[in-house]
Amino acid sequence: MTCSRPTFSRAGVRHGFLVAQPMAASVLLYGAVFGVLAGEAGLSSLQALLMSALVYSGSAQLAALEIGVSAALLPPLLFAVLLLNARYLLYGAALRPWLGATSPGQAYATLFFTGDGSWALSMKEYADGNRDAGFVFGSGVAMYLPWAIGTFVGHLLASWVPDPRALGLDFMLVAFATAIGVGAWRGREDWLPAVAACAAALLCHRLLPSGWHIVGAGLAGAAVGAWRHRDA
Amino acid sequence: MPDADFLLTVTALAAASFFCRVGGFMMMRFLRITPRIESALKAVPLAVMIGIVMPAAATGRVPELAALVAAGVTMKMRNNELLAALAGLVVIAAGRWMGL
Repeated sequence: MTCSRPTFSRAGVRHGFLVAQPMAASVLLYGAVFGVLAGEAGLSSLQALLMSALVYSGSAQLAALEIGVSAALLPPLLFAVLLLNARYLLYGAALRPWLGATSPGQAYATLFFTGDGSWALSMKEYADGNRDAGFVFGSGVAMYLPWAIGTFVGHLLASWVPDPRALGLDFMLVAFATAIGVGAWRGREDWLPAVAACAAALLCHRLLPSGWHIVGAGLAGAAVGAWRHRDA
Repeated sequence: MPDADFLLTVTALAAASFFCRVGGFMMMRFLRITPRIESALKAVPLAVMIGIVMPAAATGRVPELAALVAAGVTMKMRNNELLAALAGLVVIAAGRWMGL
């Protein structure tokens, strides 16, 4: 009989997995979009699947496609992934009171599967009084599976398109990034960081080796964001 | 089969990604995330998306620029990323078909 901790139960995992299902449907769609984009960027279906299964971060993977997935570009790639996934530092910190009560193995496995959606769900669940960390794990897995499966399916579907350029598929990454950017817009406080990001992107694109314009834009936005912050 | 170059790259990116996932959890023992750091982190996604779009916007011709506007406006109106991206594709496909 293994020691079953009351803070991480099978029932909790199942509950989290089920509660996250409505969100999982949209993750499947996003995964498919990434699959299309990865194919457009020249990745094979297996490569696209590996990337989604291992990196498991939509925004970081989009940035990686724009930079180019090759070892020669590792410095800007790593910078971009660290920058984009830095928000997970916040997520992990916020999950500390909850996951801290579980075994390290359970905590790290749970963190591996944590995504934006499942984290938000979990924080709400914790606020509602649930202390079963299985919920965080289950809801995370519910996001992870459709992301990986969607990627593979999207890549297969896109590979049947005869002339991707005529359909504008080569522009899909940029169009999708535009949509995400507009969706991320919170209001007036975003103007300065956005202008700084524009300037940095153009400057870095002109002056620096390939890929660094992504990092430059992200750093410029973060720097202005920090500078603009007023302690409330 | 993916080649060694790809596997090395993706493994490194996966390690960086996992480091961020567990980093905040581990850091909480000896560090506090200040509102200023939080404010900086929150500005990152928008800034990076701008980074992806800017080179295309700067070198784009009529179809590309019209597609950017279409994607942005559709997102503003419908708040659906996929729909917005598709609107961009429709515009660019139409523009190219007309030979703009």
